[in-house]
Amino acid sequence: MPRIDDNWAKREGQNIVPHVLIIGAGSTGSAAAHDLAQRGLRVTVIERGEVAFGTTGRNHCLLHSGGRYCVTDPESGIECIEENMILRKIMPDLLELNDGLFVAITEADLVFKDRFLQGCAACHVPAREISVEHALAVEPFLNPKILAAIQVPDGVFEPFRFCLAFLATAQENGATIRTYSEVTDLLCAGKNVTGVRIRDQHTGKQEALKVDLVVNAAGPWAGEIAAKAGVGVPEIPTAGVMVALDCRLNNLVLNRLNKPSDGDIIVPQRATSVIGTTSWAVENPDLITIPPEHVDRMITQGQQLIPAVKKVPMRAKMAVARPLIARSGIAARELSRTFECFDHERDGTNGFVTITGGKTTTARAMAEKVSDMVCRKLDISAECRTRDTPLCSYRLFFQQRGSRNQSFVGAPGDRSSGRECFR
Amino acid sequence: MSTLNYRKLSRSGRWLDVRRRRLGMWAYVLNRITGLGLVVYLYLHLGVLSLLLRGPAAWDSFVAVARSPYVLALDVILLAGILIHGLNGLRIALTGFGIGVGAQKALFVVIMVISAVALWVAALKIFRV
Amino acid sequence: MNMLKVPLQIFRYKPGQTPGYDTFTVEIPATAHVIDAIDAVWTSHDHSLAFRRACHHSSCGSCAIRINGLEKLPCVTRVTDVWDGRSQVRLDPLRNFPIVSDLVVDRADFFRRMSAADMAMICEAEAFLPFTVDTFAVADLEPKLVELPENFSRFTRFEKCIECGICMSACPTMAADEKFLGPAGLAAIHQARKKTLDPVKVEHLLGLADGEHGVWRCHSAFECTEACPQAVDPAGKIMALRRELIARRFLKMLGK
Repeated sequence: MPRIDDNWAKREGQNIVPHVLIIGAGSTGSAAAHDLAQRGLRVTVIERGEVAFGTTGRNHCLLHSGGRYCVTDPESGIECIEENMILRKIMPDLLELNDGLFVAITEADLVFKDRFLQGCAACHVPAREISVEHALAVEPFLNPKILAAIQVPDGVFEPFRFCLAFLATAQENGATIRTYSEVTDLLCAGKNVTGVRIRDQHTGKQEALKVDLVVNAAGPWAGEIAAKAGVGVPEIPTAGVMVALDCRLNNLVLNRLNKPSDGDIIVPQRATSVIGTTSWAVENPDLITIPPEHVDRMITQGQQLIPAVKKVPMRAKMAVARPLIARSGIAARELSRTFECFDHERDGTNGFVTITGGKTTTARAMAEKVSDMVCRKLDISAECRTRDTPLCSYRLFFQQRGSRNQSFVGAPGDRSSGRECFR
Repeated sequence: MSTLNYRKLSRSGRWLDVRRRRLGMWAYVLNRITGLGLVVYLYLHLGVLSLLLRGPAAWDSFVAVARSPYVLALDVILLAGILIHGLNGLRIALTGFGIGVGAQKALFVVIMVISAVALWVAALKIFRV
Repeated sequence: MNMLKVPLQIFRYKPGQTPGYDTFTVEIPATAHVIDAIDAVWTSHDHSLAFRRACHHSSCGSCAIRINGLEKLPCVTRVTDVWDGRSQVRLDPLRNFPIVSDLVVDRADFFRRMSAADMAMICEAEAFLPFTVDTFAVADLEPKLVELPENFSRFTRFEKCIECGICMSACPTMAADEKFLGPAGLAAIHQARKKTLDPVKVEHLLGLADGEHGVWRCHSAFECTEACPQAVDPAGKIMALRRELIARRFLKMLGK
């Protein structure tokens, strides 16, 4: 197990490893648990449901190349392509890597093409134009009337296993992941946060956990958690609807070649194609009703990219709130998808930090940033090594926690033994 | 972590649970019931045959009982068991080696139809109608 | 929006308490799926209800439960498909798994089996679109051959199996044999065996399949294939493994 800074132990005069508590087992919380556990801290993750119960679970499953953001939100674009390449290294067996296409349907889209290519170059997103004939041969259900097609390194992940892989690796490094445990209150000493009070939903019992630092990674619920300490988080929970079809109509991710708008992406995954998404601010991320007109809009917009969409029954629809960081005067659709750490010491409340915004593609970078902040605050010098650490098999997550201990001997040298996770 | 183990609740009965299950499960349960029935019959049969050792009087009195319509009805049930178990056994032998797995439901229907027809014809003959 | 008032009868169990059923009536849109109804119970009626969900579109395999006694994924099951308009819709956890609380079951042993099979989650994709797991035939969507882009040697996609555990719940042998690898485990062994060239690994996988809790425990109920929401056909894969095992034994007997 990696050692933390020996100086910390000497300074404190004791041999105690600092204990960090992370609220939320979505992509942010899971990646942060992995990073902090790898740096040698004692980590506990508290999640009120199952892993990926909230925003991450219902996301669009798109491993962004950054193409979508390179014109309007280049900061996000650069983050995305960097993290895209890192995730291909650390979780190669959990990604469909078939690239993506940005296609022009109208003249307005065609006009956007040059800005798009320039934006990709500026953000270092590999992009190459391919001929329309080639695009149609590769995607036989693509709208035959497209005017241009640009290939980018988009990919597809599956959010539940994405989180499980990070958490399994964190568990191998000693982290404790407590699901079905809801934070009912933050424990405070004066204005500072010293821990949490949780209710275990299995037993109904309340429990107080005193820790050295609390990391708020609760996504759109981060504001609700922060309010328990009397501080605010400038985020607007912004919901979006997605529609999954009964069959897979595309191999590559298909995007509209224009600025981000509703229903302009179709992400294939396994045996489905998912059309998304819309955008509207919500008061309570737990009470989102799916507006039927949004579902209809997904079908109509989807048909622009793949006309056959209208012939395929709908398999499922989902909606969840993204945590967008609020900036005054900017509309929901235009808000940046970048992320931010908030050290609430600046609000007078120490022992509490929030990491929010972002997207699953950049979860590892978000975790690096907040883990750096955590280590700074706890006076630990421990480097981030998550860029290069291949993650453990996601199956280990449940195996490590079970009540029974059946042995099914794995094949010699199989990765599921978990031994290769140690670095 | 404390868990409720459903196994302890009703383990012996759970393989019998056909509620909401489809044809494959019905075939599975029928095969087991007819199998058990045939085993019981086998012992009965051996027991009855042992009457032969006791001489013609014992055998003749048994045959008189065996002629009664109640016993003939039981014979029909026995035949049903043999047909179902035997034909389904063939189905399982085929599908168990990967032949006709996709048609397993259709095969079961065919078996039941053949059994029903054969049983009807046999019943007519048994009761000398 | 057309709203329905749906009565749900949900299995409840908390450690140390007697298991039973609680009834809730939720008001949900007519187009809602069963997972939305469960979510409505949790949000508005009883926050202690333990259930699983993540993707809401049958990719994660998290939410599998029994609806009116039959194993299903509530995220792709419409309420109107399981509700007759009057009786209660009964929700139970999967069978053959230890129950942790309410609808949540312990999946540790299940994942031990899947780890033993060590099937890679990513596989090579077929050369045709559309690709579907359902048997619905969409009228004029004929299959079309796909050409690979120059910089690709193959397309990839996630394996059909989402490790939901539905087949394990439907299997009567799982009820009888605690250590049975199960339709999911054996189907995964078959997939892993097909894709590996390493002879040591092949021997190991076939050894598991041929073992005491392998393919010979299957008694052809075929409920696994019936219940699978992803058309994995575990029964077909178990029979394919049997054929291979028999063929190998035969060849060995003939001295090959």
